[in-house]
Amino acid sequence: MSQTAKRLRYVLKRLLQALPIILAIIIVNFFLLHMAEGDAVDVLAGEAGSATPEYMAELRKKFGLDQPLPVQLLVYLKNVITLDLGYSFRHDMPVLDLVLDRFVPTLLLMVSTIILAVGVGIILGLLAATGLNSWRDTLISVFALVTYATPLFWVGLMFIVVFALNLGWFPTSGMENIAMFYEGWDRYWDIAHHLVLPTITLSLFYLALYTRLMRASMLEQAGMDYVTTARAKGLTERRIMFVHVLRNALLPVVTMAGVQVGALIGGSVIVESVFAWPGLGMLAFESLFARDVNLLLGIFLLSAMLVVAVNLIVDIIYSWLDPRIEVE
Amino acid sequence: MRIRNWMGIALGIVFVALAGLSAHAQKAGGTLVMLVQPEPPSLASYQSTSGPIGLMAPKVYDGLLDYDKDLKAVPSLAESWTVSDDGKTVTFNLRKGVKWHDGKPFTSADVQFTIMNVLKKIHPRGPNSFKEVMEIETPDESTAIFKLANPAPYMMRSFGSYESPIVPKHLLDGQDLKSASIANKPVGTGPFKFVEWKKGQYIRLDKNEDYWKEGLPYLDRIVGRFIPDASTRTAAMEKGEVHYGAYGAIPNVDVVRLRELDSIGVTTDGYAMINPVSLIEFNTTKPPFDSPAIRQAISLTLDRQFLIDNIWFGYGKPATSALSSSYAATGLYAEGMPNYPGKPDLEAAKKVLDDAGIKPDANGVRAKATLDLIPYGEDWRRAGEYMKQALGDIGIQLDLRYEDVPTWLKRVYANYDFSMNVNYFYQLPDPVLGVHRHYGTDQIRQGTHFVNSSRYSNPKLDALLESGAKEPDAGKRGAMYKEIQEILANDMPVVNLHEMKFLTVFNSKLKGHDASGFGAYGSFDQTWFDE
Repeated sequence: MSQTAKRLRYVLKRLLQALPIILAIIIVNFFLLHMAEGDAVDVLAGEAGSATPEYMAELRKKFGLDQPLPVQLLVYLKNVITLDLGYSFRHDMPVLDLVLDRFVPTLLLMVSTIILAVGVGIILGLLAATGLNSWRDTLISVFALVTYATPLFWVGLMFIVVFALNLGWFPTSGMENIAMFYEGWDRYWDIAHHLVLPTITLSLFYLALYTRLMRASMLEQAGMDYVTTARAKGLTERRIMFVHVLRNALLPVVTMAGVQVGALIGGSVIVESVFAWPGLGMLAFESLFARDVNLLLGIFLLSAMLVVAVNLIVDIIYSWLDPRIEVE
Repeated sequence: MRIRNWMGIALGIVFVALAGLSAHAQKAGGTLVMLVQPEPPSLASYQSTSGPIGLMAPKVYDGLLDYDKDLKAVPSLAESWTVSDDGKTVTFNLRKGVKWHDGKPFTSADVQFTIMNVLKKIHPRGPNSFKEVMEIETPDESTAIFKLANPAPYMMRSFGSYESPIVPKHLLDGQDLKSASIANKPVGTGPFKFVEWKKGQYIRLDKNEDYWKEGLPYLDRIVGRFIPDASTRTAAMEKGEVHYGAYGAIPNVDVVRLRELDSIGVTTDGYAMINPVSLIEFNTTKPPFDSPAIRQAISLTLDRQFLIDNIWFGYGKPATSALSSSYAATGLYAEGMPNYPGKPDLEAAKKVLDDAGIKPDANGVRAKATLDLIPYGEDWRRAGEYMKQALGDIGIQLDLRYEDVPTWLKRVYANYDFSMNVNYFYQLPDPVLGVHRHYGTDQIRQGTHFVNSSRYSNPKLDALLESGAKEPDAGKRGAMYKEIQEILANDMPVVNLHEMKFLTVFNSKLKGHDASGFGAYGSFDQTWFDE
């Protein structure tokens, strides 16, 4: 069988395996969410100021909250199979529209963060490892330690104070300048401008992690037998470092990056909140306090699918980085 | 005989004249970015009085009346109005030629539909405000005659666009009111038209070029922005990215710093129609708070001024009765109520407890309880910590509990699973609208939020509340409410803490945002930028 066909089979198999996982995630989340006191109607009525019990009962009936839990679950599962993620009664909009609307900003923030964190992390780790125990190594290690230990929200606020308030280089928050309502290229430029501070803030923590991981991994690989062999063959140190060692040292970093995509959605709640970035994390956070179960389940489902997909991509990158790892 | 309300017309003429005279000073144009926090669930102000909805919806909808800075009723969709001698017929003469944002004409049928089919049915306070309205006659397109079962003087204070927005019949009739599309895309007659709601980011309203007030509004656009983090809101205000934030959008602790800047203004005006008062509710059905003595002792012990100075940075006024002192304007507020001392009186508190037989045990503890705190921000936690310490001094030992909103609402108003609860209530422009719900026996409504959760019941008080609501004579009404306040100060089912002063923080270039008695819940038709 050709390599391509093999890979395709592998992908299909992995996708099939993911189905029960996603189903389990839905069911566990469903019951977890319903264990919390109060429901969406309580919140809506509380915010409204007051509402009669009859009106609240009517709303519960309309939302389907008067049904027993297993029935609600079955109805939900039935809808999901037909790709209907249900309706958010709080927002008066289909869950799919809401989630997709917020998915783009999240993806934007996530992708730029991963590129920045992994890219810069690898470079810094490489620099530290190649200059072991020099001032360069010490400086990078201290930097990594400090950023790793600093709370994200504090970094975000400090960035706002320094770069937005004092220097005025960047806007404080939001995704675009909403007093102007730019169109076309101006709008993309505006969004990129707004993206800088949140991306750097969210990257810092992960950057530190990848730097340390990359450094350790490089040092470990540098002591391997194949490096001695390469040196005996008469290869230059440069070639050994960048072709042989680097490629092997990347594996743990890629693994870590894959695992952390899920965590990134969670960690972005803080950054999204500080910078008023309209992403999924913020939506999930607000929905939890509003007991908007349908919307939360939709977000969880999408996040789960995202994590499954990213892990699959990571496995394929493995086989490309290290041909000894075969997909089957 | 009918008494024409010439006052309203005269005021209207003066208002129009003034607007004309000063037109040179105001400049048109500009985009106002205001903080809206948190993001509202919808813009259906006809079925929810939620704060963030109140910030946006009154720019789109008009009320029959508006209320000026002195809380006097002024014409809005109603050009003039008359109240019959017996107080049971109220006639509104509606403005002619007003159009909905979709171009359809506004008529008396819209008024009839709004009050009878919408506000009386699904508005949180509407069933109370319009309780006495039996029917609304519409002899022609510009006349609406309210027929009341009993006089309802308080009703005339609830025709503002925040409290009672007039909604388009042609877009709601025959639909399920709870899921009509105008809940998220409002269509009104107001100075601004709804354009777009980008979830998680902003709500955009553009100028209504056909607004019925000549030359208004001044602003081209209003954008309501959602910024979840309080520190970021402060930074955005400081940088000038947002121009206006009300109802504590900028926390008091930051206001203390911002108010020193020339570019920022701060005011406590614009909340008189809302009248917020902080308080402690008690579960009066079980020990230890089933005894009025312990509730009186708590009121005697707490240092209200300390709370105001240290937790709310000096913004507020100690409560001295069950009614806010801002009711003094209508003669309903009574001074010198017992158990509301100017300074805390620990000796008196201990004596009250001793006399009632609530004696300290070997450890000096007289009673133990859990204090629930309203989950609307850190200030309330700080307040709870103070109360724990202060009440510990008279032997009431407290544990504090701070939960999320749905859990707290369920605990206090549905399960009654609490013993004392810190909260705040909007007393609104009349006690019938804002205060009766807290004390009447008919307001013990399990599962309904912000009503009589203390489950206090006193037939004598109920009778007074009922007659107070219907009494058209201001002097007699004042006497009734004095008696009501005396009963409440002695029985103390609720300990009122302080008359809250919310803060509005604004960019100094922004003018005319305080034209309405509703402040931030006003229409902003006369708001403009001086630059």
